[in-house]
Amino acid sequence: MSNHAEVHAHEHGPILTPWPLVISIGILTMIPLAFMFNFVYHNPFAAILSMGIGIPLCIMGVIGWVREAIGGDELSQGLGFGAMGWFILAEALIFLPGFATYWVLRLSAVDWPPPGSVDMPKLMPAIMTVVLVSSSLTIHRAEGLLEAGSIAGFRKWLAATMLLGLTFLLMSVYEWNHLFHEGFTIDTNVFSSSFFSLTGLHGSHVFVGLGMFLGMLVPAMAGRVNKTYVRAGSLYWHFVDIIWFFVVSQMYYW
Amino acid sequence: MGGNRLYRALSTALLATASGLVRAAEEELSEFVPYEKIVPREIEDPAAGFDHLWYEVMVDITIIGVVFALLALYFLYRYRRRSEDEEGSQKPLSRLNIIGWALIPAFVFMADDFFLSANGWQLYDLYRRVPENSLEVKLESAMWTWDYTYPNGVKTYNELRVPAGQPVVLRMTSRDTIHSHFIPDFRIKEDSMPGRVTYLWFYPKEPGEHVVSCAEYCGQLHSRMYGKVIVMPREEFDAWYQAEADKQNIKLTKLGD
Amino acid sequence: MSTLKEWIFTTDHKKVGLLYLIGSLAAFAVAGMSALMMRAELTSMGPTITDNPGDYNTWLYFHGAAMILGFQIPALTGFLANYLVPLQIGAKDVAFPRINALSVWLFYMGIILALLTFVVPDPPDVMWTGYPPYSTITFGNTALYTFTVLLLGFASILGGVNFLTTIAFMRAPGLGWNKLNMFTWCTFAAFILQLIFVPVLGTAVTLISLDKYLGTHFFDPSTGGDVLIYQNLFWFYSHPAVYVILLPFIGIVFDIIATFARNRIFNYKAAVYGGIGGIVLLAGEVWVHHLYVTGMPDWIRVGQMVTTLLISIPVGLLFISLVGTLYKGSISFETPMLYALAVVFLMLIGGLTGIPLAIVSLTLHVSDTYYIPGHFHYVMAVAGTFAIFGGIYYLFPKFSGRMYNEFLGKLGFWITFVGVNVIFFPMMIVGVVVGMPRRYWDYSQFPAAEPYHHWMTAGAGMIAIGFTIVLANWIYGLVAGPKAPGNPWGSRSLEWTTTSPPLDHGNWEEVPKIEEGWGPYEYGTGKA
Ligand code: HEA
Ligand code: HEA
Ligand code: CUA
Ligand SMILES: [Cu+2]
Repeated sequence: MSNHAEVHAHEHGPILTPWPLVISIGILTMIPLAFMFNFVYHNPFAAILSMGIGIPLCIMGVIGWVREAIGGDELSQGLGFGAMGWFILAEALIFLPGFATYWVLRLSAVDWPPPGSVDMPKLMPAIMTVVLVSSSLTIHRAEGLLEAGSIAGFRKWLAATMLLGLTFLLMSVYEWNHLFHEGFTIDTNVFSSSFFSLTGLHGSHVFVGLGMFLGMLVPAMAGRVNKTYVRAGSLYWHFVDIIWFFVVSQMYYW
Repeated sequence: MGGNRLYRALSTALLATASGLVRAAEEELSEFVPYEKIVPREIEDPAAGFDHLWYEVMVDITIIGVVFALLALYFLYRYRRRSEDEEGSQKPLSRLNIIGWALIPAFVFMADDFFLSANGWQLYDLYRRVPENSLEVKLESAMWTWDYTYPNGVKTYNELRVPAGQPVVLRMTSRDTIHSHFIPDFRIKEDSMPGRVTYLWFYPKEPGEHVVSCAEYCGQLHSRMYGKVIVMPREEFDAWYQAEADKQNIKLTKLGD
Repeated sequence: MSTLKEWIFTTDHKKVGLLYLIGSLAAFAVAGMSALMMRAELTSMGPTITDNPGDYNTWLYFHGAAMILGFQIPALTGFLANYLVPLQIGAKDVAFPRINALSVWLFYMGIILALLTFVVPDPPDVMWTGYPPYSTITFGNTALYTFTVLLLGFASILGGVNFLTTIAFMRAPGLGWNKLNMFTWCTFAAFILQLIFVPVLGTAVTLISLDKYLGTHFFDPSTGGDVLIYQNLFWFYSHPAVYVILLPFIGIVFDIIATFARNRIFNYKAAVYGGIGGIVLLAGEVWVHHLYVTGMPDWIRVGQMVTTLLISIPVGLLFISLVGTLYKGSISFETPMLYALAVVFLMLIGGLTGIPLAIVSLTLHVSDTYYIPGHFHYVMAVAGTFAIFGGIYYLFPKFSGRMYNEFLGKLGFWITFVGVNVIFFPMMIVGVVVGMPRRYWDYSQFPAAEPYHHWMTAGAGMIAIGFTIVLANWIYGLVAGPKAPGNPWGSRSLEWTTTSPPLDHGNWEEVPKIEEGWGPYEYGTGKA
């Protein structure tokens, strides 16, 4: 290419990054291939092998990506928040058909709950709700402190948020385990199918949210913070929180 | 286009739309009867209605297509480039023209759409309104066969024998995957699936044989899932029906109507 | 030339776009080969080249899924959007270059999964629609279908987030919404649709794999499930998906026609706000027209007949603008223009033959017959592919800096143009007149269909020859084509104001300034 191009490229620094490719390969081996090895071709060994390749690739990819990008590349500076809005629109539409399916099945059912269901616990989900709502408040506080310029305060409240999120996940695991023991599993009936699919889907979002927070916490330890990223991440967390209201009201209290 | 002419054209288009709407509302809405309320009247054959409407729609879309195509071809010829640095000379539209060129075509298209909807709905009524004196046969489809059960319990496989001159209604369900009972000669198909009961009816007038084919992908041998509708003269049918009942050891209940 | 490393680690929107092009053309070639196998099989009644229906079903599955999800959507919203949109809005790149790279590599992983169809034992045989209960009881590998869709869908969602942000916030200073290229507008609209509807598809295909492999009961009627839920979810996405294809391809056709007619778009505002806007508004309310012959309640069938027919209004407005753009133009007929004009004619046939399909009572006969492949090959397969090919020819000097051969270009065009009509017009006739159902490996019960199938197979042969010429022409152009001038078509549009090919990073020395009177279609004003 011409001289101009090189000079230009030098000024702005072309972004060359291996991490998107690494993550893609990681995703391919970690989920589709592993799933197929296990469930379609009944070869758990190959499945574990496949995940053994995929999970490290994904972790490496995410770490590498975050390290590269945390300083903020000039183009996306500030646009991340709006983009998260678009992404949340898409996310909401992942949940909507799940709920729609559940509503159709439930409203057209002859008797509900269908045979095989157990009494849904009422106390645990209430506690979980409280935990998740508080985590929304703590992340809001962390964001506020960051705006005010206190990285140390931000770190503290972010860590608190993550702790609450983790607590929520552990409680979900406990809850699932408890239901399994009562013989209520994903293949029991249409209600259990909906229940585990929707709570599982929501749980996976909590998990992803925690991952995003980890990507903030680690650089924040070294004093580096990308504000756009923080705002987008906290928006996502609020969204996950709101979805939980739908899940909990439809699954436990209706 | 001058303002006055524009408004005249607009109001004409509006009128056309309105008349389309009125037609839809008046004729169709009042006649639309759900399946349960059967009105006794002369049997109208939807297959004949299909052929008629199909022809009308073909004429309709051909005219639209030809108008657009000819116009484009004419422009292509008339405005071909004559010198290397020539440029197009279209002027920006005035506000009135922008609105006119959006609303007038929109209303014309809408009028055509409503006209087509009205006709389509009317015909759909025929398809869904089962005549009272129909022969009701149960159909259970499965990979890859059609199993028919007559009112008196006679069962046949891949072969539906019916008397000429009597409408036939099929109540359909499926044992495994989704299938679709398609009789090209009677211009009708409807899916059958597990967990739901669907129906279709047709009107065999003359004796003869017709292909039934599966029209919903249902597995490896989807294309080999076919059978026959055999339309027999009334007396022949009755004789067959009785003989078959005897053969299948069924106590004969008197036939349908 | 760039090194291999610069290609696979790239985040530059132009390279990403070209990566999309390569991947989608690969999908097209393989899916096209499957089509040729299918055509060979269908030449005569009964088993022709294989006596295993499973082979045929696998080809057909791959053909449908790969052509739509692996070829057209990525070629339009991946290649063309990536290459053109930043250039047309005067941006240095997309908003999130790294996410863009992630999209393209996820797309490649999706293609790899799709191609596994030909490798794994028990390949998927659920057709591109994957209806349960068949997809949950087949021995075929339904998980492969699910994950192919999920990966490609995830890539699309990321692309959507990226491009909506880019178009909304990164336009060059002074470039208002009413000065956007038609293609950019169409991409914007298409990505709104993708963002809203792809997730629904994702959920739908996930539920079938949950049913099949984890024992859930969503679609299992014996335990309270419902088979029709899937079809509703699927078409709730897949009807809008056809406009995800239609919009960008009409967009590129607009740009090509305006360039080669050197004319302004006729009634730009009606096309944008009425046409594109109308399609976006209506796209989500018509999906039941794919369920006319299922047990859906009558009121919803009739209701969606009306909404489906109303789609002809926005599309009609787009057509008026397309044809009107020729009016008082200065039209020249290079290869890209031939393709664009062909799209107008083929899309007229394809769109208008959708009208009887929209009428519920007529669909009761023609649904699931060969009339349907006839309709959608015209409107999607042929019109869409021609628009993509026209776009590639149009951008050829831009991305390669070289010219293709004009004679070979025209030759390839005419052979394929005749070929597609020879194959897809008889398809419609055999559907209505003979009643030949689709997805048939053997049509012995319809002997009257055989002569038509001879024609179709012959037409498929012609297309194969035509596309080989096209491909040869591109390879020739890339390797040995003469150097192209910077703006060979004399276009006013922003993407042609930079060098060809544009600067490797950042596209412009300096972000272009948009002057008051400038517009991408302001021809005939005397200013060059
Ligand atoms: C790019 C892809 C694309 C596009 C744009 C369209 C556009 C349309 N399609 Fe098509 N369609 C498909 C791809 C597409 N389709 C596919 C892939 C399938 C099959 C899927 C499968 O089962 O595998 C299908 C199937 C399909 C069906 C289901 C058939 C069945 O399975 O039973 C129906 C039914 O209504 C339908 C209707 C329409 C209509 C009304 C339009 C309209 O949008 C067309 C509008 C255009 C025009 C009308 C022409 C231009 C307008 C004018 C010149 C104005 C004046 C016109 C009038 C007033 C009428 N299509
Ligand atoms: C964008 C989409 C697209 C495209 C471009 C095509 C292109 C073609 N399609 Fe496709 N088709 C679909 C989408 C598409 N199709 C879908 C969605 C279905 C429904 C699936 C379902 O039912 O689930 C379908 C179904 C379908 C059927 C119906 C089968 C059945 O129902 O049983 C048939 C039958 O003839 C067919 C034929 C063809 C042919 C001959 C081409 C040709 O145009 C292809 C030409 C391409 C090539 C030949 C390859 C490219 C060539 C080169 C790179 C040059 C080098 C190659 C050689 C020399 C060979 N298609
Ligand atoms: Cu039964 Cu297809
Ligand atoms: Cu559709």
